[in-house]
Amino acid sequence: MSNKTFKIAVLIKQVPIPSKMRATKEGLMDRSVASMMNPYCKHALEAALELKDTIGEEKTEIWVISMGPPNFEQSLREALSMGADHAILLSDRKLAGSDTYATAKALGTLIQKLGVNFNIVFAGLQTIDGDTAHVGPQVAERLGIPHVSYVEKIDFKGDHVVVRRILEGGNITYKVPLPALLTITNTANKPRGPRLKYAIRAKNEEIKVYSVDDIGLTAEEVGSAGSPTLVYRVKNVTHDRPPCQFMEGETVEDKVNMLAEKLRELVEASKAEAVEA
Amino acid sequence: MSTNEKKQRNEEEYEIVDRSKQGVEGVFIWGQMMPNNEPHDVTFELLGEGRKIADKLNTKLTAVLIGYNVKKWAQELIYRGADRVIVVDHEKLKTFAVLPYTQVIYDIIQKEKPEVFLFGATTFGRELAPRVAARVHTGLSADCTMFDVGDYVNRRKKLKFENVLYMVRPSFGESKLATILCPLNFPQMASARPGIFIPLKRDETRKGEIIDFTPEFSEKDFVVDVLDVNVGGGEQIDLKGAKIIVSGGRGVGEKGFDMLREFVKVLREKGYKAELGASRGAVEAGYISSKHQVGQTGTTVRPDVYIAIGISGAIQHLAGMKESKYIIAINKDHEAPIFSVATFGIVGDYQDVVPIMIEKVRKGEMVFPVTQ
Ligand SMILES: Cc1cc2nc3c(=O)[nH]c(=O)nc-3n(C[C@H](O)[C@H](O)[C@H](O)COP(=O)(O)OP(=O)(O)OC[C@H]3O[C@@H](n4cnc5c(N)ncnc54)[C@H](O)[C@@H]3O)c2cc1C
Repeated sequence: MSNKTFKIAVLIKQVPIPSKMRATKEGLMDRSVASMMNPYCKHALEAALELKDTIGEEKTEIWVISMGPPNFEQSLREALSMGADHAILLSDRKLAGSDTYATAKALGTLIQKLGVNFNIVFAGLQTIDGDTAHVGPQVAERLGIPHVSYVEKIDFKGDHVVVRRILEGGNITYKVPLPALLTITNTANKPRGPRLKYAIRAKNEEIKVYSVDDIGLTAEEVGSAGSPTLVYRVKNVTHDRPPCQFMEGETVEDKVNMLAEKLRELVEASKAEAVEA
Repeated sequence: MSTNEKKQRNEEEYEIVDRSKQGVEGVFIWGQMMPNNEPHDVTFELLGEGRKIADKLNTKLTAVLIGYNVKKWAQELIYRGADRVIVVDHEKLKTFAVLPYTQVIYDIIQKEKPEVFLFGATTFGRELAPRVAARVHTGLSADCTMFDVGDYVNRRKKLKFENVLYMVRPSFGESKLATILCPLNFPQMASARPGIFIPLKRDETRKGEIIDFTPEFSEKDFVVDVLDVNVGGGEQIDLKGAKIIVSGGRGVGEKGFDMLREFVKVLREKGYKAELGASRGAVEAGYISSKHQVGQTGTTVRPDVYIAIGISGAIQHLAGMKESKYIIAINKDHEAPIFSVATFGIVGDYQDVVPIMIEKVRKGEMVFPVTQ
């Protein structure tokens, strides 16, 4: 038995690189393009790693958990190279088309199935592809534990955490008993890069892959069949802002002069308009 | 027979499911209160849009008002469009906490069986709505910018649903609009992006019903304690009224903000209504107070000229300033997203660029296109 008494789960998603993001003809996210770890998930992982630094490496264990196609392994290995200890992937064609409700059901069931009594679960505030911020809170509801979203500061106090969350025009501080789930914002920390000392483990560590059967769910409970919402149609939006004009010149002074010139033209144009009117 | 006609003939044989006749009724909104015990603006926006949806569905609009000493707002919500206001007034609900608020809304949904339930996509709304949706086992569409009511035909199940809520939201990095439906579960839930929907004119002749509701709490709803609430206060600054906003980001550093203050001062000396803005990056780093923050969780501004200095242009920042008439961006990274909305860009170190700009403004060599 491991004597690592403090167990942390981090939910991680892989997302398309923003410039490559596109829809399939069914209106779903095209997952075949180049992708990366969702930035908010990286902040969640960093929060976990900082907690591990606080509590002590010898006492702490970080599990990174993801749901998605086999190529999500890329982000899980990246997480291992940053200092996570175990990686789990829930991967199954039956999961295709899951909305946030079905995703949380699958992830929540998987976490219970793992049988690890996690002390804390971290998730990114939201993903940059789905942009919903739903999955974290919905997994917490499944697990029956409290959650706080928009967390940007965490103080570990043993059996509870004191967290500060973003609020319009300020912030709010809560005392939260553990176990709990926290969703982490991008203002919370600065994620570290890969560490040389984890490189070999990151390469060799087995990533345990679970199927829908393995966690005891049926095809009807997940994927599009298990999703209350559906995408009815997708339309393009057009933007009307012209592209940025970059100021040019040999020196900074030249660039600023060019800006002054451009601004003067706008001022004169509006004066001329005022005279006409 | 064309395929279209064929389709139509087939559909005539489909069983019709009228969403508004399945024992569920009414459009509900969460009337969100802020820590100063005033409603968030989005509450009035939801009442405006909720009214439209309720009229299309020929049903009532109900606002759910949760907090402590909030009943005094119930009448106001009626003047702003509600037919009914359910008030849950309890000392323990004074400050937002997701567990008890989820339980309250869950209880109300069980009792009232609404057809539609809308939340503001504020930080509270986006923490609360998903937990509620998971507890009542329904779908949720995030951050919607448009709603409508219409039909939905499911060819596989040979069903035609009438009076379904169309929930439209930006997706794929705001490059597309997706219409989301939730045809089988109740309520149809969505969060609505603040600042998009139009509130109704306040009308004191509007009549409505105010209903007290006492939820059943258990101890586990109160395991999380609120320790501190920190919102603005102190000196007020007028970002909304400014014609020019000089805004600094994390790239500016603490000393840099002194330079930007100087910039604002010089602009004011020249007669411009100028104000100092900031990104959350700068606020978070402790360079400046959150009152200056522009963006999704700060102030939404649309000045004549917005000067973004050392700001990368995260989507949450752009949300609060991209409607500005002219945007000038100064950033040393030519790929910074701020340039995607900028009118004019200078790639360079602000420490080189800004002093020259200040000097030129002082000498009257740099003027700005502002309206009166
Ligand atoms: C729920 C939520 C709500 C949020 N709400 C807001 C909000 O309301 N407003 C907001 O602003 N953000 C908000 N954010 C945060 C947002 O996502 C970004 O983290 C934040 O805007 C980044 O601030 P920044 O651009 O100052 O910092 P960074 O992203 O760190 O960018 C700094 C920039 O400065 C440039 N730079 C560095 N040095 C120099 C130099 N010497 N000269 C010139 N340029 C330099 C860099 O190239 C970089 O582009 C929110 C985030 C979340 C999750």
